[in-house]
Amino acid sequence: MFLARIDGTVVPATKHETLDGCRFLVAQRLEADGSTGPEPLVIIDWMGAANGSTVLVSTDGDIARERYGNTTPARMVVAGIVDHVQIPQKSNGRSA
Amino acid sequence: MRLGIVRGHVTLSPAVPELLGKTLVVLEPVTMVNLVAKNGLGGGKSLVAVDALGAAKGQMVAFTEGREAANPFWPNSIPVDAYCTLIVDSITTGNTQFQESEVLK
Repeated sequence: MFLARIDGTVVPATKHETLDGCRFLVAQRLEADGSTGPEPLVIIDWMGAANGSTVLVSTDGDIARERYGNTTPARMVVAGIVDHVQIPQKSNGRSA
Repeated sequence: MRLGIVRGHVTLSPAVPELLGKTLVVLEPVTMVNLVAKNGLGGGKSLVAVDALGAAKGQMVAFTEGREAANPFWPNSIPVDAYCTLIVDSITTGNTQFQESEVLK
């Protein structure tokens, strides 16, 4: 699991059949110092994460398999929307 | 899932039976810098993924990595660790909108 900031949305032209009606977001992984990873990630969201919010991303596919069936390739999903992150000597809120 | 641009296809001869008939694409992962710059470049380290959606050369896809990449072939076991999950039509990040046609070359 890791924290990521929602940066946008993806509109698919075609997608795996198990993922009909899914919401795909572009996210950037957050490091402890607040910097972001080099590559954007596409994650699945059913919690309604807003643009710019910080979310907890789970890379375990089991939660997606429960929802979309055994044959889904989905892996990264929003497991929760972050309210507050506390790091000693440094306190980051929603805009972490 | 990461984003990647299809750079080509791979044909195997011979191959393990599980991979016969599967389409393999060469993907170049896209970095945030290149995505926002809309320059059609990738920038990541290339990899090979299974593609069942029919992505063409130059199209952008999102691909799953890891054990979940083999899930579409459940309950069969198959030596696959990257799978094209969706073909991108458009991406909106910040105030930049990326259209699939801008990368197709």
